[in-house]
Amino acid sequence: MKMTKIYEGSHQWIMFGRDPNKPANIIDSNQYVVRTTNRCLLMDPGGTELFAPMMAAVLHHAPVEQITDLFASHQDPDVISSLGLWDQALTNAKLHAPAIWEGFLRHYGCESIEYVPIPDHGGSIKLDSLELQLIPAHYLHSSGNFHVYDPQAKILMSGDVGAALEAPDAPVFVDNFDAHIDKMRYFHQRWMPSNQAKRAWIERVRKLDIEILAPQHGRMFKGDDVKRFLDWFDALQVGIAV
Amino acid sequence: MNNQTKSQFVAVASITSELSAVMVVAKEISLAAANAKAIAFRAGDKAKGFQPITDFINELAKETIELVTDINVYALLLYRLTVNEYRRTSAYNRFEAAAKLAENAAYGASMQGPVDVAKGRMQDCQRQFKRDVTHLLSQLEAVMHHARAARVIAANSRIEASQAGEYLQSLQAVAESVDKAAHTIHDNVQRCRVALSIYRSN
Ligand SMILES: [Fe+2]
Ligand SMILES: [Fe+2]
Repeated sequence: MKMTKIYEGSHQWIMFGRDPNKPANIIDSNQYVVRTTNRCLLMDPGGTELFAPMMAAVLHHAPVEQITDLFASHQDPDVISSLGLWDQALTNAKLHAPAIWEGFLRHYGCESIEYVPIPDHGGSIKLDSLELQLIPAHYLHSSGNFHVYDPQAKILMSGDVGAALEAPDAPVFVDNFDAHIDKMRYFHQRWMPSNQAKRAWIERVRKLDIEILAPQHGRMFKGDDVKRFLDWFDALQVGIAV
Repeated sequence: MNNQTKSQFVAVASITSELSAVMVVAKEISLAAANAKAIAFRAGDKAKGFQPITDFINELAKETIELVTDINVYALLLYRLTVNEYRRTSAYNRFEAAAKLAENAAYGASMQGPVDVAKGRMQDCQRQFKRDVTHLLSQLEAVMHHARAARVIAANSRIEASQAGEYLQSLQAVAESVDKAAHTIHDNVQRCRVALSIYRSN
């Protein structure tokens, strides 16, 4: 599992992904970790297959007992089907996930982890002195969907928004936006169902000061590429299957 | 899922299906008993020896139905335990894999706690499963015992039927159906026992 530190300040952001041992027929995903002094948040920790490599990778940064928070942007298996395993490994943890998915996500097994339901209008996650904002992103693509914004690091973890289907050894940042478009067009057109939801999200996100847009698949966007992505997404017609 | 786990799932699931067939047959016996009782009543003195037998058959069918109902509840528990054991075993395996991958990680040693806990939970489940299988096998043995008793009664019925003059044929038919039903129960339960016996505790 490749680890890339994407922010280093009073806390850290680390991106995990490009696992070389991942079975070829499952989609590659990026997992993000925020590490504060005593706590550790795993965002979209991934599918069952990814549990062992992900746990091992996190152990480079924090001991098991300091993994205190999980976040699931939505209910998809590539996001959180590992829940039942984290549930047995962590003794004192919370799962922050959309309120409307609680009854569904519990199918993965959630007995010792406390499910903290995120209401539709959003909320926050507090880690030591850090406060992360939970930004609504409903229908992008899931009907109950949130992104995580860190105003200090200026990072928006954007779930499936900004995702691209990439080669397993692709670089972690977009280096040529125009060339990247082909890798993400179909994904957004087909997986994102609603132009209306897309507009509402773009309007909300344009007000945030974002240095890195960090999707769950493919590469991250940095600096001007963040604005390029928002403009491109704004102009894209989605929901093409009907 | 490995083959051992797969066959454990199949063994436990097959109990429920075999037993639902047993249930149908036990109800048939109880019907045959009611039928026999009516005939014996009409036959009066000619079927004197047959009357207590019908009560006995009825009692046996009722007990078998009760037993099977109990076993079904137990089989469902055993199924849940199998699911649990599967989850715990796969958790343990994945925790071990994580610990191994994290050998050189700064906090790799912190994984030992979860590995040990997972191992303990898995072993608890395995022990519980063995205990429950042993108990279930003894319940199944009780059903077999009933089936064997039913066959003895069926044989007696045949003898009694032969004294019943013009009722001979219908009473013999009753004896026949009890015998057949008991045979089916015996076979089905035997299959359950064979499927489960490899999991019993020694
Ligand atoms: Fe998704
Ligand atoms: Fe995804």
